[in-house]
Amino acid sequence: MNALEIRHVTKRFGDFTAVGDLSLSVPAGSVYGLLGPNGAGKTTTIRMVMNILIPDEGTVQILGRTLDEDMKARIGYLPEDRGLYPKMKVGELILFLAEIKGVSRDRARRELDGWLRRFDLVDWRTKKVEQLSKGMQQKVQFIVTVIHRPDLIILDEPFAGLDPVNTKLLKDIMLEFRDEGRTIIFSTHRMEQIEMICDNICLINKSRMVLEGNLAQIKRQYGKNTVVLEYEGDGRFVAELPGVEKVDDYGKYMEVKLREAGDPQEILRQAAGRLRVNRFEVQEPSLNAIFIEKVGVSHD
Amino acid sequence: MTKIWTVIKREYIQIVRTKGFIIGTVLGPVLMVALVAVPIILAVATGGEKKHYAVVDGTGEIYADFEAKLADYTLGDKGRRYTLEAYPAGPDLDARRAELSRKVLAKELSGYIYLPADLLTGGTAEYAALNVSDFDEIKRLGEALNGVVVEKRLKNEGLDPSKVAEYTRHVNVKMIKVTARGEQEDTGGTFAVAYILVLILYMTMFFYGAIIMRGVIEEKNNRVVEVILSSLRPFELMMGKVLGIAAVGLTQYGIWALFGILASSYGRSIAGGLVPAGAGGFKVPTIPTYIFIYFVVFFILGYFLYATIYAAVGAMVNSEKEAQHFLFPVSMMLVVPILMMMAVIKEPNGSLATVLSLVPFFAPILMLLRVCVLLPPLTQILASIVLLVLTILLVTWLGAKIYRVGILMYGKRPSLPEIVKWVRYR
Repeated sequence: MNALEIRHVTKRFGDFTAVGDLSLSVPAGSVYGLLGPNGAGKTTTIRMVMNILIPDEGTVQILGRTLDEDMKARIGYLPEDRGLYPKMKVGELILFLAEIKGVSRDRARRELDGWLRRFDLVDWRTKKVEQLSKGMQQKVQFIVTVIHRPDLIILDEPFAGLDPVNTKLLKDIMLEFRDEGRTIIFSTHRMEQIEMICDNICLINKSRMVLEGNLAQIKRQYGKNTVVLEYEGDGRFVAELPGVEKVDDYGKYMEVKLREAGDPQEILRQAAGRLRVNRFEVQEPSLNAIFIEKVGVSHD
Repeated sequence: MTKIWTVIKREYIQIVRTKGFIIGTVLGPVLMVALVAVPIILAVATGGEKKHYAVVDGTGEIYADFEAKLADYTLGDKGRRYTLEAYPAGPDLDARRAELSRKVLAKELSGYIYLPADLLTGGTAEYAALNVSDFDEIKRLGEALNGVVVEKRLKNEGLDPSKVAEYTRHVNVKMIKVTARGEQEDTGGTFAVAYILVLILYMTMFFYGAIIMRGVIEEKNNRVVEVILSSLRPFELMMGKVLGIAAVGLTQYGIWALFGILASSYGRSIAGGLVPAGAGGFKVPTIPTYIFIYFVVFFILGYFLYATIYAAVGAMVNSEKEAQHFLFPVSMMLVVPILMMMAVIKEPNGSLATVLSLVPFFAPILMLLRVCVLLPPLTQILASIVLLVLTILLVTWLGAKIYRVGILMYGKRPSLPEIVKWVRYR
């Protein structure tokens, strides 16, 4: 069963179409990435999933059913802008938000203790939210999102403001959830995060779906032959080589997309002959490259 | 329902715990007492100072009696309040006045009093001093002078002033309120009670309405509303706020009421010691139960009506400043009944009063006022209550729709057609 099914969903605000005929499926127990430029329609889509907005057309099925108020208890939502009461104490705030999710006070307290320890926030339990740094507030926001053990977790830009250590912590937790059978949908601009943990993705641009499905399959579809080169010297000649369809050259690093008949080994020979090669790799295209190709906007 | 309860608890605790609330609740009664006691204490303590006046008596027959009368005025234990000095007008009145003015400026005199020759036949006396705004002083002197002149006039006609005083004694009129329960003396208490109750209603709706609105705006601004809506319906959030703030208000009023009850039992003895006998005539009226019941009914209805309106306004804007635009009509709805108070008191059953008190936005204040002053027919009271309840339901329905859309809208202040669209949004 799919954790989330969106079929031909459209949402308009007056003359402006925020989401147009969007369809996507999120398999249960997976990590799903939602990406796209600002204003593409990601947040509107998420709000429709959360029943904060109602689609003009189409259907949204969550865990096999249309969303109703009772189901909200099984969903966790982390909005893009941090949403916390600044003047409440950390512990109080988390307990309040847990209670309105339907978690009993005692259970909430126990879960809270565990999470505070895991995120190293125990000392901040009685401090007012406004006294915490942005990164710590983001951690609190995350705790609020998962404290009620939801089956479906929707995260809008969850890594914002987190340092590398906490980013890794969050990623590990997300993978743990996945292994427990829960479903995670997260929206972000950071391609490398998507690549590392997502099973499926959906790329949205200007209210429309551009790409959807299993990440590995999409990458395979978008060109088996891609070569990554880290080098020193003048690499402009590479674009002229036979078998090369396209080159993204960043000066010391280039991604070379080969044509159907292209041979990576030939590229290596040519490059080694004229450049100082520090790294050579045959790989699937980066999501960044796919994104650029499909959307035409650089987005990293 | 339990979710609404959780919100109520949060709203309540978050406010009741703040220093602001505690200080306000404690200070409230203190301020109330101070506002009443301080002027009284001041008036009693600073009795005044001795005055030395020059008197130019153009009539030639008033000065002696005038001085004798003023000799009775004492300043606590400091002795005579007034000392007088007679100055003949002399051939040149203007020169005399110039001389006296000089003395006043030099502070040798507190002032001078000029009694023209035709004082007894309707002339005007004059009081000259550096400070002519001390109305108490002028009143005192005027009364003394008046007494002396009238007596003189009567004596000149051969009449006995004391007998005349009896004949012209002022008639007192006592007020007796006729009610179905019998007659009850009224020392002006009804009016005071009505005024106070109406004022309480009015201030409550402004004050607590604003608190709700501020809360809604804050939730919008710090975006926490999105997180909450992933757990609650907008209606539940709105109701939780309205009820939570209601609880805060009840707590504050409860504490004040308690204080008031304690104060009226013990306070009167304290006040009696401070204030001299003259102030004892005011009788604290007993509030009949039915007035109290209607007060509670209209208080609750009025609160819910305006609380919901304020919540909806908060949802439409992003800052209190933007809210002013929408608050103007709301303030008008609260102010109009206050302006109409006098008219309604004069003719509580007149057509103006009847019509206005049925308008749901004015009903809480005006119908309550009518109940206090002259109980309107039961049908009218019930009609206004029914209209109020229907309006509250309508406003709550509209308000919830506006709230549901508005709390997630950030941007320019919406225009009226836009708001209509919000109501239609699903």
